[in-house]
Formats: sequence, C-alpha cells, structure tokens
Amino acid sequence: MTRARLSFLLAVLIPGAVRAQGYRLRVDLRGQAVSYRGVTLDSVPVGDTVPGVGGGPVTPDGIAALCVQGEAYCSFYRPGAPQRSDPVSTTADFTAWGFGLPGLSLHVLARGGADLGDAAVSWPGTTPAVQLLEGYAEYAQPRYVIRLGRQTQAAPIGFTGFDGASATARDARLGLDATGYLGWGLADASALPVTSAALNPLDDFQPVERQLVAGAALGFRSAPFDVRWSYERQVDRRSDYFVSERTRVDAALRPLAGWSLTASGMYDLAQALWGNVDLRLAWQARSGRADAAVGVSRYRPDFDLWTIWGAFSPTAYRSLDGSLDLVPWRALTLHVTGQVYKYDPTGASAPLVDVQSSGWRFAWDGAYTLSARWRLDAGYHAEFGPGASSRGFTGGAAYALGERVNLSAHAGTLDTPLEFRVDDASVWMLGAAVAYRPSGRWSLDADATRYAENRKRPDAAGFDWNQLRLSARVTLYFGSGTGAGGVPAAVGAMPEGPR
Amino acid sequence: MTRALLCALALCFAGAPARAQFDHAKHAKVFPSCVGCHAGVARAGAPLYPDSAACAACHDGTVERRVPYAPPAESLRTNLRFSHLTHAAKAPNAKCVSCHQDADSLWMAVRPPVVSRCLDCHGIRTAHLDAPDTACATCHYPLASAPRLARADVARFPEPPSHRASGFAGGGHGVLANAGTPVAASCATCHSRSFCLECHVDAPERPQIQALAEDPRGDAIAVTLQPPVTHAGADFLRTHGAASRLPSATCATCHTRESCLTCHVATPAVAVALHSAEPGRGAGAQLSRHRPAWHTADFQRHHAPSAETAVQTCAACHTRRDCLQCHRPDAAGAGAYHPAGFLSRHPAAAYSRESSCNTCHNPGQFCVSCHKSAGLVATGTLGSGYHDANRFFLAGHGVAARQSLETCTSCHVERDCLTCHSALGGRRFDPHGPGFDAARMIKKNPEVCTACHGTSIPTQ
Repeated sequence: MTRARLSFLLAVLIPGAVRAQGYRLRVDLRGQAVSYRGVTLDSVPVGDTVPGVGGGPVTPDGIAALCVQGEAYCSFYRPGAPQRSDPVSTTADFTAWGFGLPGLSLHVLARGGADLGDAAVSWPGTTPAVQLLEGYAEYAQPRYVIRLGRQTQAAPIGFTGFDGASATARDARLGLDATGYLGWGLADASALPVTSAALNPLDDFQPVERQLVAGAALGFRSAPFDVRWSYERQVDRRSDYFVSERTRVDAALRPLAGWSLTASGMYDLAQALWGNVDLRLAWQARSGRADAAVGVSRYRPDFDLWTIWGAFSPTAYRSLDGSLDLVPWRALTLHVTGQVYKYDPTGASAPLVDVQSSGWRFAWDGAYTLSARWRLDAGYHAEFGPGASSRGFTGGAAYALGERVNLSAHAGTLDTPLEFRVDDASVWMLGAAVAYRPSGRWSLDADATRYAENRKRPDAAGFDWNQLRLSARVTLYFGSGTGAGGVPAAVGAMPEGPR
Repeated sequence: MTRALLCALALCFAGAPARAQFDHAKHAKVFPSCVGCHAGVARAGAPLYPDSAACAACHDGTVERRVPYAPPAESLRTNLRFSHLTHAAKAPNAKCVSCHQDADSLWMAVRPPVVSRCLDCHGIRTAHLDAPDTACATCHYPLASAPRLARADVARFPEPPSHRASGFAGGGHGVLANAGTPVAASCATCHSRSFCLECHVDAPERPQIQALAEDPRGDAIAVTLQPPVTHAGADFLRTHGAASRLPSATCATCHTRESCLTCHVATPAVAVALHSAEPGRGAGAQLSRHRPAWHTADFQRHHAPSAETAVQTCAACHTRRDCLQCHRPDAAGAGAYHPAGFLSRHPAAAYSRESSCNTCHNPGQFCVSCHKSAGLVATGTLGSGYHDANRFFLAGHGVAARQSLETCTSCHVERDCLTCHSALGGRRFDPHGPGFDAARMIKKNPEVCTACHGTSIPTQ
C-alpha cells in the first residue's frame, strides 16, 4: 500500500472519529527538573604536569593526566559543569469506536515533549517535539483482528514498531492463534524511523531508508500447555539485504496447580547464533502467600546488521537466578532475589588488563502495613560485576490521608564503584511524594528528592554534587459513558468475542 | 403485638381520610346492630358507611349538637382480599364482633380488625409475617391488582422473617418462587417484575420473574445486591475464572457481560455466554476495577516472574498497552519502570544487563545523547584516558568490549572502533571472535563487511 493510499484511508476514518459513539482519552502530563554533572575532556602541556602522589603526572590543580610518550599534550577529564534539564511531556492515548460498523475502532497514542532546561543536549526523547507512537484503525471480530496504521507488535521476539498492517486470527475453541504483520519499520525501541537524526547524535553511519518489517507468529494455548513460535525479518529496502532475521520459541507447561515451567529460546538466523535462552521453574502457593522461581538463562545481545557490532562477537553470559516472595502474615510482604552469572570465554587476549568475567546481584525488600493508613518499606540491593557495581539501602513510609491522598517519604543510600574508571561515588537520597486521586477523572503525583553525591577519587577530579530533583504527573481521563476513569482505555480498545 | 404487625395494620387502613371519628362506645345504647349503619356489610350495593344525614337525625343542633361527620370519600388503600358479603356467606356463624371486638368486651367497643383473627379463622397458627409463604395470597391481592397502593405504601411493606434466613437472598427465594406454585402467588403480593430487575440480569429467562406482573411500584422496596458467601473468599478473584466455567455456575443471574469487561480486556468465553446490559434486564452487580490482593503495593517491582511464567493470567486484565505505559520510556517519565534513583545507579545495571536496556531504549536516542551531554562520549582520537583505572585499558579492552558491547555503544560509535579494527587503513586488529560466521554474514548482508573490508571481503 502506498503512502497516498494510507493517507486517504486515514482521511476517511478521521471524520468518522468525530461521529464516534464512544471514546476514551487519557492525557498524561509529566514534568521533571533534574540536573546532572559529567566530565569535560581537557589537555595540558606535558611540561605543565607535575608528579602526583603515586608518581604519575597530574595537572597543576591535581587532576590525574594521561600522557602518551611522544605527544606534547596530556589529556585529562575535569569535572563538568552542572547542567539542568527540565523535560516535560504530554501523552495522549485516544480510542474511539462506534462508527456504525461493530468492531471498528480508532487508536492514537501520541506524545509531545520538550526540554525547558539549559543543557547543551536536549533530554533524551524530547526530539522531535511531537511523536506518534501509535495510530491505527482496528477492525476486531471474535475470530480475527485487523490493524492498519502505525502500531507496535509486542511479540516475544521484541517490541517492533512499524507503519503497516497486521492481522490476527484465532480459534478460541482450539486455543490457536496466528498473527502476521508487514510494514515500514521504526527504529528499535523508538517511535522514529531509523533515518531520523535524533537517533544519531554523534553523526555516525546511518541508514538512508527505512527498513521493511515482516513477521509472523503461531500460538497454541491450553490450560496445561502453551507454545508460541515467532519469526521476524527486517530488510534494507535500498540493498535488499537483511537487517535482522530472528526466530523464537516460547513454551509454558503447567503440570500441577501452582507450578509452571517456562522455556524460551531465540535464534539469530542472520548470524547463525543462539541469542537469549531461558528456562524457569516457578511455584505459587494457592493462598497467594508465597511464590518462588528459579531459572537458568543465557543472554546475548542482538545487533542489527547495518551496524558492525555483530561482527565484534559480543559474548554471552549464563546465569542462575532465583526469587522468593512471601507474605508470612497479611501485613508483611517479603521479596528476595539473587543471580550469579558468568561470561563465556571471549577469545580476546589482554594480559595487561584484568577484567572481571563474572558477577552476582542480590536484593531483598519488604513492606509492612501498620494500619489502613500507614505502610513502611525497606530494601537493600547489591550487584557486583564487570564494569560497574552498586549497592544501597532504601526505605520509606507512606501515609494514606483518607481515600484520596497518599503521602510518602523515602530515603536511600547508594555506592557505585566503577571498574574501568577511578570513581567511587556515594549518594544519599531523601525525598517526599504525594499522590492525589480526587476522582476517577484525574490524578496527581508529585515527588521531590534531594540527592547528595560524593564522587570520590584520589585526585582533584573528585567532587561533591548536590541537587534537588522534582517530578510531577497529572493524568486526566475523558470518555463517553460512565466509568471512563476507572477502566483503562485498553478495555475499550479490545475486541468483543472469544479469546 | 409485633412491630411488623402494627405496620401491617397501619397499612391496611392507611389512607383513611382524616375525618371526624365516630365514637362507637359512646353510642352503645343507641344502636342495637351494626348493619343499621353499615348496611353494605350484609346487602350487596348498600353503602358500607352511613351518610351524614343519618347522624343529623339526632345531631340536628336541637336534640344534639351538630357533628361534622362525613362518610369516607374513597375506599381504603389496601391490598386486602376481603369482602364482608363473601365472608358473611361463607361463614354464617361469624358475627361482626368476631373481628371488630375483643372477646368479652362491651357492646360496640369496636376496634379495627386484627390480623390474628384472620389467621385464626383460616387455620394459620403463626404470627402474621411468619405465615407460610403459601398463605399470603389467601388474604392479599397481588401488588399489580392493588392499584390504590402508592409507592410509599409499597416501600413500607414489612419484610417477613423468612426473607432474612440464610441463603434466602442468594438463591433460596428462586427455588421457592417457581412459577405457578402458591408460593409464586405469594411473591406477587408484595413484588412485581421491576423488583426482580433490581438484581436479576437474567430476568427475561426466569419464568418465575416473567410470571410476575409488571408494575413500576415494585422497585419501591429497596434491595441491595449482596455478594454471595462464595465470593467472600480471599482467593475468589484468582479462582473465579475456573468456577465460572463449572456447569453449576450461576454468574448470569447477577452479572452482565459488562461485569466481566470491567476488568477483562478481552471477552472471555464465559462473558460471551452472559447477557449484555439492556432494557428488560437488571443492571446486576455493579463492579469496579481494582487491584487484586496479590498485587501488593510493591508488586510492580516484582511482577516480572509472574509475567514471564503465567502471562496468560496477566492478559486477562492487561494488554500490551498497559505494559508499554512503563516499558516504553517517556522523556519525563520519572518513577515509572525503574525505581527512584535509578539514574544514579544505572551504570551497574547496564553493564551487567540486569534487564535488556535496548528493549525499551534506543541507544542513539537515549544513551548516546545523554552521555554526550555529560561529556562521556568519545570525541577525537581514542586514548584520552577516561578509563583510567588501568593505564593499559585501551590496549587490553577486548575482553571488556566483548562482554559489554551494548554498554560500549552507549558512548562509542563505529567510527571509534574502526580506527584500529578496520582492514582499510586502521591497525587491522581482527575484531571477530568465537562463533563469528563470515560466510553467513556475507550471505545475509555483505554491506556490513564493506565497512572494514571495502570490496575485498574475505570469504572465510
């Protein structure tokens, strides 16, 4: 279908929206005020450096410098100036139905954003200012659903955005469903095409045309057993070469009440490599007061073939993880999770650099409901592994002021040592939040948190940095009929008929 | 005398117009019989009450003072199925005083009849409202046949104790009310179809309800739909799906299809079998969507295992759009998917892939642009010393790069790596590691190879 035809179809449908018998509109207004402080690359003549504590060169003001033999200047990173960002965004989620054809509906999810701060580079996601995340017409009947327009295919293989068409057929009695989709693709995890300058802040290589996306999925679902096969390929329209080609199988087995065994595996057909693989056993008590899961998995990143990264042979890691949730009594919930992982051999030789190749993470948290009004929570997390680590405590208290107002205070500590850079930051956080739900028609959430950060280094590049981060969110609900605010727009968007 | 009985009596004579009351006892010596004034009791067509002229025969202002008596202008607002003539014919031994006087009282010490007299004669040995459900119609017309009763009268109907019995509201009343039985006729004494529509979604399919006449006064008796005891269990929300598929399920009694759609985002098979809300059906249970008990306040942070292992459970109430609320980043979306303060600790999560960043974040749009603003991206010749924990990091970064290539690409672009790894003028360091399938790459997209190899692409 050409763009002209698509435009014509939308032009026919949009006047129909005005006549729609029912609609839901959720408008989400959000804003943040944050600042951040990085580093600035600088240089100093070799002759201006002086010996530091350890004997290495440092700048006259005490910052460690890197001097390469034969070069006249040494380079170093000095603390960057604090930069302020004030991103604001408005998200509108609109669904309309009742165009005279049962099952026909129109869906639009759009977002407008801007950074009102003074940072040199706009806050991520605010460029371009208006983005259409989804905008499609849907015709849904009990046995099939057809969508036309900008949409996101949320399949196990990943979130794939495209401008095109999708169709799903299903037989509830047999538990079967089949989906196919085709269109002009959007960039991974973005509502923008791969040709957008906003995706290329460093002026790197970039495709000149949008890719074609085609995918299919088959699924079978029953009480004790599910299985789903997914396939997707993306093709460079200019050269007709593959951008990616992946397939994945997901299965779930529920042999006994409360027990499930799930497995999934992704295979990169383009590079003939296994991607992520996961096997997980989960148990949930019938009372709902306990559940546990243990799993083994393999993680390997996927890179599209219009980058060279796949040729650099990213290494997978294998992990063993587990989690346990307990509700020992009604007022108390506990959660514990842990994971150990180890990378496969990289095949690289680096005798002068010792890099960790395994890591672990652990976290626990709990919440205690003192009364109908008071609730306390606390938690700890630690993750140590290659590149960067972190650990810290968090805690908070929440107070329900009647049915409509919830006040809370939270605090936390954080240590974030880096492996490849001398930087051992410690952070204290203390904040307060309010949630106001005056009716089903609108709600307000606001948070103010003070961050006190100490970037510790043995040279003068360390610094203290404090800031107040503010965030606020107002959500408005509009809709025809009653209860529009209490029911997500998704309810109105779904087809009527057997699952 | 119970309060209910008093109410019933008040109802039977409710609506008697305010007028001068005739003091029967005071006239005991004047009138030897009842029918002298109340001729209608014994003679068809005769008035039940004397007219004012009868009083004026004595109360003429001369013999006796004048009195403002007037006979009732309208008949009583009652649903009593009672005729003096019929009773006189069927019970010739019954006298007026049998009902209108207490035993052993003086002549003309009359009083309104009490229900117990009716019950006694009809062989019902209980209090009025304890009478069997089969007995109501003996003395009462159906509501629809008592047009003089106002809504307020209907609203004051006393509730029989039997209606408060355990299980009566939940289903017992339906069993008793089978159409055509005496019990059904008793139901009609107080109820019309509109009363049933206060709860019953399946009213058109219920012969017991259809047997009732339509009368808008029926819903004057307010009733609140109470969830049955089966719904009270802590686990009901989790188990109601399976229960609804049992042959014995009675969901359709109180639930419309819209009940299901309050929470369910697609129409489950059970919901299809339910009736949609429409005229002629009761509104049924009015539900509101709320978090199930197991979605504790911190569930959002821990839902991943549940979502991974039983996504079909999530799909009952959630759609991918719900997921994308958090999993698709919003430029100003503080406190969404990630916990508070995540920005400060995201390096560790990113390096070790606590979760797959690239699923939700486009590296160029999110990571690189922000790192560029923070001065973290590579500019110019590599080797400027950001990774200063090891002096030889640049020479030995291979292991770190293969382990955390996604993290590398949040600060570095292809141009940086091609400085050394290109076969076209770089230092020609081979970047290919274990598992690299050159032939496959050439087959799928040889343009990738040209970035480093130009047109001289090795086949192996």
